Amino acid sequence: MKIAMLGWEYPPFKVGGLGTHCYGLTHGLADKGVAIDFYMPKTKRHIKSDKENLKVIEVGETEVFPYDRPEDKELGGKFFDAVYRYNDLLVQKVKGKYDLIHCHDWLTMKAGIQIKEKLGIPLVITVHSTEYDRAGWIYPNQWFIDIEREGMQKADRIIAVSDFTKRVIIEKYGINPDKISVVHNAVNPIEGEMEKKNLVLFLGRLTLQKGPEFFLKTAKKVLEKQDATFVIAGSGDMFHPLIKQAVDMGISNKVIFTGKLTEEEVKHIYRISSVYVMPSISEPFGITALEAISAGTPTIVSKGSGVSEVLKNCFKVDFWDTDEMANKIVALLRYHPLHTTMQEYSKKEINLFTWDRVADKTKAVYDGVK
Amino acid sequence: MPSVCLYFEVHQPVRLNHFSVFDIGSANNTYSTYFDHKKNRAIFEKVANKCYLPTNKLMLDLIRKYEGRFRISYSLTGTFIEYCELFMPWVLDSFQDLYATGAVDFLDETYFHSLSGLYDDLGEFEEQVKMHRDMMKRVFDYKPKVFRNTEVIYDNRIAKKVADMGYQGILAEGAEKILGWRSPNYVYKPANANLKVLLRNYPLSDDVGFRFSSRQWKGYPLTADKYAQWISRSDGNLINLFMDYETFGEHQWTETGIFDFLRHLPGEVLKQGNLDFATVSDVVKRFEPVGDIDAPWAVSWADAERDVSTWLGNNMQVACFNELKELGKKLKKKGDPDLLYTWRLLQTSDHLYYVSTKGFEDGAVHAYFSPYEIPYDGFINYMNILQDLKQKAEQ
Repeated sequence: MKIAMLGWEYPPFKVGGLGTHCYGLTHGLADKGVAIDFYMPKTKRHIKSDKENLKVIEVGETEVFPYDRPEDKELGGKFFDAVYRYNDLLVQKVKGKYDLIHCHDWLTMKAGIQIKEKLGIPLVITVHSTEYDRAGWIYPNQWFIDIEREGMQKADRIIAVSDFTKRVIIEKYGINPDKISVVHNAVNPIEGEMEKKNLVLFLGRLTLQKGPEFFLKTAKKVLEKQDATFVIAGSGDMFHPLIKQAVDMGISNKVIFTGKLTEEEVKHIYRISSVYVMPSISEPFGITALEAISAGTPTIVSKGSGVSEVLKNCFKVDFWDTDEMANKIVALLRYHPLHTTMQEYSKKEINLFTWDRVADKTKAVYDGVK
Repeated sequence: MPSVCLYFEVHQPVRLNHFSVFDIGSANNTYSTYFDHKKNRAIFEKVANKCYLPTNKLMLDLIRKYEGRFRISYSLTGTFIEYCELFMPWVLDSFQDLYATGAVDFLDETYFHSLSGLYDDLGEFEEQVKMHRDMMKRVFDYKPKVFRNTEVIYDNRIAKKVADMGYQGILAEGAEKILGWRSPNYVYKPANANLKVLLRNYPLSDDVGFRFSSRQWKGYPLTADKYAQWISRSDGNLINLFMDYETFGEHQWTETGIFDFLRHLPGEVLKQGNLDFATVSDVVKRFEPVGDIDAPWAVSWADAERDVSTWLGNNMQVACFNELKELGKKLKKKGDPDLLYTWRLLQTSDHLYYVSTKGFEDGAVHAYFSPYEIPYDGFINYMNILQDLKQKAEQ
C-alpha cells in the first residue's frame, strides 16, 4: 500500500502538535509496511527520513503556519494567498501511483480534493481540530468552515481525534456519522524525573480556546488555602491581558509568565511541576495532558477535551468550575499519597497511548476505503 | 445428611456529601454536612423496593410453604437498621415477621460495618460489636450466637477476640490460603481459640452472586434444579452459601430471573433427598470441627485477592485509615458523643472501598458500587472530611 500524505510541518521543523502527530503516525505506518510520501513546504533545514519506505518531499515555501489566523497583523493580507499558493503547488507536484491520499485539517484540504479528482483515488482526512474549537466557539471564521465542510463532504473517510470531535463534525458540519472513525492520539513520553518545585502549570497557546483566564481565577482561590507558584507557559493574543488580570487580582507575585518555550524548556517545566492543568473550553484531544503525565505530573483536564474520554487516571472538571479545580489542586499539593498514587498509575496508563496503536487503527481505516 | 447454610449480608453505608477543601473548618454540624442524606434516602428507598421488600416477602412465603424446612440467616448492620427506622419502618417489620417463623437466624457484626477488627487495639472493635448486640436485643430481643465480621474479614486475632466475647461460631472465606488442600464443606476451629469456623464455598456462592446473569459463563443460564444438583454432588457435610442480600433484585435485576431462581431453589434442594437447610446456629449445634484454621494474615470475601487489599491496597487508603485511627484517640479523649458517632459513621468500610484503584476486573465491580467517578475523587472527599473532623477534635 502506498500513501500520499499532505502535511504542513514535520520535526525538527514544527510549531505544534500537528507535526508531532504526522511524525509518529508516518513512522508507525512505515513499520507496518505502508509506503508513504509525506509532502510539506520547503524549510531551511532539509528534512530526511530514516526509513526506506517513508519519504519526505518538500515543495515550495510558505510563510503561514497551521495555527495562524487571517487577522494576524504580521501576515498582512498574505494569509489567503499563501494558503492557496501552497495548495496549488501540491496539486502540481503530487504525481505517481498512490492507493490513497491522506491530509490533516483545513490546510491542505483543497489540494487533497483536487488530487483525489485528478488521480481518481480515495481521500482520507484527519480532523485534529475544527474552526469552532480554534475560535473557542465564539465568532468562528466562515472561510475555514467552508473549506473544512467541503473537505469532509468529499472525503471518503474521516478520522476524528476524539468522540467529541466526531460529534462536532456530525452536528456542525452535517456529515454522515458512518464515514467517521475515531482514533485517539498517542504521545511521545517525556523521560526522566526531577524534583517537584511546588509549581502549578498551564501550558499552551494563550487564546480563548485554552481557557487561561480560568487558570488565573483558580490560582487566586488556591492561594487562599495553599502556597504555590503558578506558571503560564506559552504565547498568544491573551498574553498582555492575562498579565493585567493577574496584577488586578493581586496575585502577580505568585504567577510567572514564561512566554514561548523551547522544546527542551517545555520538557523541563513538565518535569518540575507538581500539577498540570488543562482548562480548555474546547479541546479536540489535548496531547499536552499525556505529555505532562509522562513527565510524572498529575493532571487535571477539562471535561471538554477529547483526552478525558479515554484517560482514567486524571481529574476531569468543567472548565468554568474554578472552585472544583482549586479543590483538586490543593488536594494534590497537600495530600502526598494522592500525588504519588496518581503519578504512579497515570504514568502506567500512558503506556497504552502508543503510535503503534494509532498506526494500527489508521491502517484499518485505509483498508476500509482502498 | 449434608446441610445447606444460606447467609445474607444486609448493609447500606451512609454516603458522603461533596466536601471541598474550602469547606474544611466551616462545617458546624458534622452529621448534616458530612453526609448526603437526600441521596442516601433515595438509594435506600430504591433498594428497599427492588430488593428488601420483595425478597423478604418471597422468603416468608417459602418458609411457610416448606413449613420451616427452608432455613436462612442474616446479619443486619447498624447503619441499615437506622435507615429502616428513619425512612421505612415496614422494612424492619418484614424482618421481624421472618424472625417470628423460627426458621430465621441472625448474626452479630460490627455495628458500623467497619474495619475496626484491623486496628492495633481491639477496644473499638469490641465496643462496636457490643453496640450491635444491644441493637439486636432491642429490635429482635435476640442474642446471636454466631459472628460475622465486615466483609468476612478474618484472622487469628479477630477469631480469638470473638471467642472471648462468648460467640460459638464465626464466618470466614473458604480461601485456599487458609485451607490448603482441604474442603470448605466442613466446620473447622481456629488454631488459637475455641470457636467453630464456617467457611464460605466461594465457587458455588459466586455462581449466584456474581455469575448468575453472565452470558459468557458456561453455567448460563443457571436454573434452580441444575444448581441443586451441583450442591448435591459436593463433598463434605456443609455447603455454606454466603452472599450480599442485594443479589436479589439489585445486583441481579428482576429481569435476569433471579427471583424465579430463588422461588424454586428450596424445592429443588429438598428434592435431592440428601440435603437439608440449616441456619448458622443449627450448624454450630450440629457439626464438630474436623481441623484447625490458622490465619496470621487477614482473609476476606472481597475481590480476587480475598484479602484486605480492597480497603488497604494503595497509599491513599492507608493514609485515610491511619488518619481515621488517630482521630479516634483524640475523639475518645474529648468525649463528645455526637463527634464520636460521626467518626464511627466514617469508619464504615465502604468509604475506603471507594478509594480502591484495583485493576480492570475487580475495578469494574468497584465502579458499579462507587458514587465517585474515580477513586481519587473518593480520596479527596473523604480526606477533606477527616481533616475537618480533626480540627474539631483538636478544638
